[in-house]
Amino acid sequence: MQGVLGVFKEIDATVDAIGDLKQGSYRDISVFAPTLDHEIEHAVGAPESPVRRFTLIGGLCGVTFGYWIAIWTSDYWPLVVGGKAIASWIPYTILGFEVMVLIGALSTVAGMFINSRLPNLTMTVGYDDRFSAGSYGVYVECAPEQAKSVEDTLRRNGAVEVRNAR
Amino acid sequence: MATTVAPPTAAPTYPNVATADVRLPSVTSYEQVDEEILATLHPTVTWFLGLGAAVTALLIGIACLMYQIYSGLGVAGYNPPIMWGVYIITFVFWVGIGHAGTLISAILYLFRAGFRTSIYRCAEAMTVFAVMTAGLFPLLHLGRIWKFFWLIPYPNWRLIWPQFKSPLVWDVFAVLTYLTISATFFYVGLLPDIAVLRDRETNPIRKQIFASLSLGWRNSDREWRHFARAYLFLAAFATPLVLSVHSVVSFDFAMANVPGWHATIFPPYFVAGAIFSGMGMVFTIIIPLRRWFGLKHYVTLNDLDAGAKLCLFTSMVVGCAYLSEFFIAWYGGSPVETQYFWNRVFGEWWWAAWIMLICNCVLPLSLFSQQLRRNTTWLFILSLFINLGMWFERFVIIVPGLSHEFEPWQWSHYTPTFVDLGILLGSFGWFFMWFLLFVKQLPIVAIAEVKEIIPPRRRGVHDGNHGIRRPVKPGRVPVTVPGDD
Repeated sequence: MQGVLGVFKEIDATVDAIGDLKQGSYRDISVFAPTLDHEIEHAVGAPESPVRRFTLIGGLCGVTFGYWIAIWTSDYWPLVVGGKAIASWIPYTILGFEVMVLIGALSTVAGMFINSRLPNLTMTVGYDDRFSAGSYGVYVECAPEQAKSVEDTLRRNGAVEVRNAR
Repeated sequence: MATTVAPPTAAPTYPNVATADVRLPSVTSYEQVDEEILATLHPTVTWFLGLGAAVTALLIGIACLMYQIYSGLGVAGYNPPIMWGVYIITFVFWVGIGHAGTLISAILYLFRAGFRTSIYRCAEAMTVFAVMTAGLFPLLHLGRIWKFFWLIPYPNWRLIWPQFKSPLVWDVFAVLTYLTISATFFYVGLLPDIAVLRDRETNPIRKQIFASLSLGWRNSDREWRHFARAYLFLAAFATPLVLSVHSVVSFDFAMANVPGWHATIFPPYFVAGAIFSGMGMVFTIIIPLRRWFGLKHYVTLNDLDAGAKLCLFTSMVVGCAYLSEFFIAWYGGSPVETQYFWNRVFGEWWWAAWIMLICNCVLPLSLFSQQLRRNTTWLFILSLFINLGMWFERFVIIVPGLSHEFEPWQWSHYTPTFVDLGILLGSFGWFFMWFLLFVKQLPIVAIAEVKEIIPPRRRGVHDGNHGIRRPVKPGRVPVTVPGDD
């Protein structure tokens, strides 16, 4: 994995560089920003996050398990009270709801970690400490023969530093 | 999450008076945010003194607990039929405190309430530590703490399962779920900030710890994209959870056939009370912190003003619930209920009820005054009264109800013992110990989210103000806001 990294001070310069690189048919672009920024998000144009599917599936599994554990244990060890249902759905809805939230939320976090590739044990490629402060980074994965063209694009758009990263 | 960008204009700024466009006018660059917020992490003598006081209070609580374990629950002041006392009161109190954090971080996030940004990290930490504190009290109340796992549904050799129709089992699920989700929400929100700490840390051991805790967060567009989506869904899950947890806690009372308890108003009444008390504790914590740490330009008077309005609103909801209880007791025509409520206000427990009414309903009316809403000294004093009033609210619900049940032979008295009070003190020590440790290890203001509301740096704008500037009228001087001492 090798590529070119450009460090930017301004967000509009970063966005312009991303636009130019995309026009140049470079698709493997990673952008580093100190905070979530919708301008960069729109410039990168990534598809909708699939985290929502993890949320939905986790929530459905949770609510099913919550109702099931309450109903199954009531049936397995019945506490018979005259006139009362052995498995009563109204109080069990509380269990169903709580377990839905628990499993759904934990699945959401799992979805975020899986899709973001966290935990990330290697910090070397393309990352710079300045990206958590005030600078922006654009890392383009490319073949060595394309590096010159990428460097030119980054510099033309105002990169304060351009270097090869691997 | 929107990034607002306004065209640059050529004029100087004046400090700390926010507008819709510029929420933090005195904060002009991302580097400033890092520098000022990370500066709060250096320990001071005052911090060590505070931590020492908290640990001392905790040790007193532990000593009382040891004595109780040695002697039995009889030393806790229970007097049948009053078998719920300070422990359950304090449990409900701390669960209530724990509500404001997730309310601020989740509900206000969904509503895009701007004042949340600067205070939500503190409120979330407060939530996690308050629920950790609350969770101790049902265990203390058990007497035999080591049997607590009987409430957890697991396959065991006796083939016995918890009674899922019991509110006490609902409580276990609700509180544990709330603790797990609050802690998860807190940690996920912290990830980008821990990465900032990792990148600025010079001590190699601490750097390694932060590197592990940040899970290798790199601020990449991929991470931000999934982070934003996950945070939104977590907020969406946490919102009904906030409302459900205190509703479930209220079922502990409302499902019991005790005068004053068996009422359908309890869930909304408890939820409003929890938010009210949580906001009170947020003020108790955030007002000294913003002063000691020099963060007045992050936690602005506008933020406190908005929080005070929420406090006022929930106070009025709670007041309405109190009045409804009295009205229904009279209108329902039940002599037991009528006598119970009469006894609550004019009988043996009048002093507790009046502390509750004055602290929760009368004093907060002062927040109708904008001047007082923006007076941090008054807000802090009021927050202490709110904490006191909300503890007494739970006292007034629990003790008079159990001490004045249906038959005169059931009537009894209750006086907390030194063990009760020592453990109550210990709970505050436990809570503040964790909180004080937190404020010196992790940022109390969310660095990444503050950066989000500062306009980013743009080409051609090199004044360090990121392009948004506000004109100063001729002759205008920097504004000193009344009450912001």
